[in-house]
Amino acid sequence: MFKKILIANRGEIAVRIIKACRENGIKAAAVYSEADRKSLHVQIADEAVCIGPAPAVDSYLNMDAIVQAARKVGAEAIHPGYGFLSENAAFARRCEKERLIFIGPHSKALELVGDKVRSRLTMEKAGIPIIPGMKNIAEKMEVYEQEAKRIGYPVMIKASAGGGGKGMRVIKDPADLRPGLEAGRREAKAAFGDESVYLEKYIEEPRHVEFQVLADNFGHTVHLYERECSIQRRHQKIVEESPSTALDPELRAEMGETARKVMEVSGYNNAGTVEFLLDKNKNFYFLEVNARLQVEHPVTELVTGVDLVQQQILVASGKKLDYSQENIKQNGHAIECRIYAEDPLSNFLPSSGKILFLKEPWGPGIRHDCGVYSGCEIPIFYDPILAKLIVWAENREKACSRMIQALEDYVILGINTTIDFLKDVVAHPRFCEGKITTHFIESYFEDWQGREKTDESKRLALIAAAAAEGNKTLRPEKESGSFKNLPTPWRTLGKWRLGGKH
Amino acid sequence: MGNGGWEGSTEMEFEYLIDNELRKISLEKKEEGYIFTEGEYQSPVDIKFISPNILSLIVEGRNVRIFIARDSDIFHIYLDGQRFVVREPAAFEEDQAGGEGRSLEDDLNIKAPMPGKVIKVCVSQGDAVRKNQTLAIVEAMKMENEIKSPLDAAVKAVHAADGDLVDSEKILIELEKSES
Repeated sequence: MFKKILIANRGEIAVRIIKACRENGIKAAAVYSEADRKSLHVQIADEAVCIGPAPAVDSYLNMDAIVQAARKVGAEAIHPGYGFLSENAAFARRCEKERLIFIGPHSKALELVGDKVRSRLTMEKAGIPIIPGMKNIAEKMEVYEQEAKRIGYPVMIKASAGGGGKGMRVIKDPADLRPGLEAGRREAKAAFGDESVYLEKYIEEPRHVEFQVLADNFGHTVHLYERECSIQRRHQKIVEESPSTALDPELRAEMGETARKVMEVSGYNNAGTVEFLLDKNKNFYFLEVNARLQVEHPVTELVTGVDLVQQQILVASGKKLDYSQENIKQNGHAIECRIYAEDPLSNFLPSSGKILFLKEPWGPGIRHDCGVYSGCEIPIFYDPILAKLIVWAENREKACSRMIQALEDYVILGINTTIDFLKDVVAHPRFCEGKITTHFIESYFEDWQGREKTDESKRLALIAAAAAEGNKTLRPEKESGSFKNLPTPWRTLGKWRLGGKH
Repeated sequence: MGNGGWEGSTEMEFEYLIDNELRKISLEKKEEGYIFTEGEYQSPVDIKFISPNILSLIVEGRNVRIFIARDSDIFHIYLDGQRFVVREPAAFEEDQAGGEGRSLEDDLNIKAPMPGKVIKVCVSQGDAVRKNQTLAIVEAMKMENEIKSPLDAAVKAVHAADGDLVDSEKILIELEKSES
């Protein structure tokens, strides 16, 4: 087993991986950009190395700096987390060359599944159902225009190197193709350092169902069932769950087997996810392989009881998988909500700044994977994900009420977050019935304004503000001692009119 | 009030804006708890600070836990599953440029909606622009946001270049009313 792992990431996922290392008696080394010196992952790691300035291209995407950091701390392996270099075959190759173990698939598999166009061809040959689309990445706009015409509008622009919605756009009108491609390329370049994009047929009324797969270095592959991720905004997943309400046992088994086959055809090892689109007639199409740990991996962990990060580490260290397909079971229901620093009342603009106060929810069946804390600054340079709230209960109905309650008990003050929005999403009748498609948010939450505030609630808020004003020098530890003699607004007139009854 | 301080009957009046609505309230400190008054409404309130950010309130038989954080003159408050912003009127007036009362001047001085990096300035000095035309693209947290013109106008000056890091106060582009 490894003695020390370098985590080439930041935020909640870096924190999650550091904890998994700890549980296995492995030392964890963090890397950080100049903007992240005070980030949580840096505070809790055994060692921490600064790898460059704030922009991701100069730090978290800087292969030289990361390899040097691994050398410096004497790490044997690098866990890339998600995003950044996690699906970068050049980085995996570099690690192999430097005799550092990349905790993820080997570079050849990564290259194949990361090249969304080539992997589609491979899947097509292997008889895996796919969506009509471009066979090759093109340079010229004219080629994209011809291909879009051949496939038929609406078409989807997708980043060749990517995932997570970055660079993706739906084009309904041919006139929008050119500007869409330009923007998609820029976003792809900024997020992945590779601007290649391709087109495919856009399927309407779809559900997004993906299968988690684990494969060891000896060709043994198992799937850990599905996650439904149909609740998306701008093609970004925001609520995920397992199991999916769209699958029956036969379809689940068929899709699971297909997912396993996809990974075997790709010669894949370590943890990965096979994404499918499911249409209303229950036809499913292979979308792509996410060759990394997924943001939404916790829902799978909660229903299967398998710790995916620990399995990644075990497999990377050369151990055989301890699971056979038969002894992986789905138990109960799990839901995840992604907590983003975005303002739902203002077109989801990113909200940077300082978290003045944070209180996380807790209780039976609640898990909180978090990268932030009271007093931390949210930099503008990175993805706005702050934390993930995940609940488990014995069935979906109970999981929904548990999630609503947990979101209600979740307090972040100082910046805007998606918490209130998510609460209304999970409480929506269509969501409760499980009748969801990837258009759910645009169909039901386009003009979301939040709940009406009652006068009683406002009055309580006013009382709280006034009490806090009157107690702004309150120090709990000194409440009974010297505090009494400190000046407070109740004593010092200041700008306030006291004794208002004169 | 003299040296009365917390003891005796000290009443304080407060003026706050909550959801852009001006409210005048008063709190009177008693031996036990407070008396809250707003216009005709009056009620005893039991207020306990659990920590600098957590208050326990018992009012008219209701027991409420309130979370509060202060950012200079603004209180961020969470209770009953909702968030409230309570601010002093003075702080609001300074801040109003970003609020609902947009003036023509606000429309003509184009700022970034949030701190970020200018990806592309799409117009040059002297250009005529239509309402909703994209003036610039600003990226923050890896999402691109298009800044659109709020009106038909002409570009008077451009103060930002591709690649600039900007905060939400900086004027990126100045517009002027079109002649026609």
